[in-house]
Amino acid sequence: MNSSSPAIEIEQLVREFRKGPRAVDGIDLAVSPGEIYGFLGPNGAGKSTTVLMLTTLLPPTSGRARVGGYDILRQGSQVRASIGAALQEAALDAILTGREHLMLQATLQGMPKADRTRRAQELLERVGLTEAADRRVGGYSGGMKRRLDLALALVHGPRILFLDEPTTGLDLQSRSALWEEVARLAKEEGMTVFLTTQYLEEADALADRVGIIDHGKIVAEGTPTQLKEEIGSPTVEVVPADAGAGDALAQRLASFGQLARNGRGAVTVQLPGGESQLAEVVRVLDQAHLKVASLQLHQPSLDDVFLAKTGRKLEGAGEDQDERQP
Amino acid sequence: MRRFVYVAKGVAWRSVHNTLVSPAILLPSLIFPLFFLAAFAGGLSRISDIPNFDYKPGYTAFQFAFVFLQSAAFGGVFTGFAVARDFDSGFARRLLLTAPRRSGIIAGYALGALGRWLITAVVITTAALAAGMNVSGGGIEIVGLIGLGIMMNLGSALWACGVAMFLRTEQAGALIQMPVFIVLFLAPVYVPLRLLTGWVHAVARLNPATATLEAARGLIAGSPTKVALSFALLAGGAVLTALWARRGLASAERAG
Repeated sequence: MNSSSPAIEIEQLVREFRKGPRAVDGIDLAVSPGEIYGFLGPNGAGKSTTVLMLTTLLPPTSGRARVGGYDILRQGSQVRASIGAALQEAALDAILTGREHLMLQATLQGMPKADRTRRAQELLERVGLTEAADRRVGGYSGGMKRRLDLALALVHGPRILFLDEPTTGLDLQSRSALWEEVARLAKEEGMTVFLTTQYLEEADALADRVGIIDHGKIVAEGTPTQLKEEIGSPTVEVVPADAGAGDALAQRLASFGQLARNGRGAVTVQLPGGESQLAEVVRVLDQAHLKVASLQLHQPSLDDVFLAKTGRKLEGAGEDQDERQP
Repeated sequence: MRRFVYVAKGVAWRSVHNTLVSPAILLPSLIFPLFFLAAFAGGLSRISDIPNFDYKPGYTAFQFAFVFLQSAAFGGVFTGFAVARDFDSGFARRLLLTAPRRSGIIAGYALGALGRWLITAVVITTAALAAGMNVSGGGIEIVGLIGLGIMMNLGSALWACGVAMFLRTEQAGALIQMPVFIVLFLAPVYVPLRLLTGWVHAVARLNPATATLEAARGLIAGSPTKVALSFALLAGGAVLTALWARRGLASAERAG
């Protein structure tokens, strides 16, 4: 793979399960080296099936994909050597300790013994498991298992990292720690990260680009900003200090765009020119001597994007779908 | 090749490590053969008094040969259980994801089975010697006996790996164990072949395990018989079960 070719390249990838719908239905995408690609969708949308195919754990029914420059069907061994993956279930051996897991993983990857020991220690420190390193994994918390899983994926210094819903079930502190580490890997080590998630804020916070998948098809793709801009402009909600000033407020703000009246005299107005119009709103209110209790800018969210593209809210959208959980 | 070796080494290390640190894994593989040895060699020792039972080292050695081979075969079976457990727990997926050369996973499980059985073999041999077993065979015969055990263990482990990889659930246990159990117990376990009668004799005569059992007893007695035939049968079995295990792995790869 040269530096200009995509780290991950997918063409018309399909996976059908017997007696089931197409879990992945002809997707195309390309991820550049060093990019964090967020694959966003509800449960059963086809995210995990895509990851299983890209990590050579499941052969596609049709289509092509290259990971790290290698064909996932014909060059599985080279693909596995160039990727790391932390799948949805952190499948660990309850009898082994954290350190033993890392040593085993390093052995499977063919690392020399001296490097194995050094690398295991380095990763244990990085994911904050030094104190628990020699305890059996059976006694680890969910967050500790996730961190160990991430460390295992990094043992051999892969160029591409697959993370399948890495923060599901984690508390806020563990989640933000994992986000920081993923961002660091991409920024400082130039690692390509393919991240599936059903959390909007995760995709928004981490991903350089987002692909939204629903019923096995990619329904939207772009940077989070592009996707939000595609579906609409931001809005500003103004709450007057005097609830009776609502009419005057609405009259002044009508020139900006479509208005909506809320309770207690509050007015929400669209800003077709984007957030740069906010200063103008403030100026108009000042000139009209209208006192304001609060003023809030609302950017469209990825949830709005999902709603616009699929007609459903992301939360709960997976309940009517049936992806095989391989 | 180097990648294959590393994968095999890692998987084998885990198998032996887990056996040594977990009594729940170690004890069944020790208790079953020890129980068979005590029950058969001790409880049925008067069988050697029946006419035409002429096995010079005695009934303990006669039964030891069976228990030795049975423990080798069941060492492989227990490894199959572990493979099935790895599929149920998801750990097998980690191995499939990590191993650059996946055939090394089968080799690793087989090596692990061998390591586990060697522990059992040492324990039951010590127990049999402590119980007064006579061994008339010399060094070469003993090496031959160990070789038979290794081949038996290998064939059984590869069979078990194949079934576990095809079915990928712990419920595969019965299917892994039953054929091995039937083949072993349809051999002349309690008396020599010539003392069996009826259908049991007919089946035992055709059973490939009979030749191996007779070879093992001959090696202990210092009068080798059917050794080359046994090794040929076991080698053939190992080749067939290796192909079976490889197909099981391919099935697991297809299923994801």
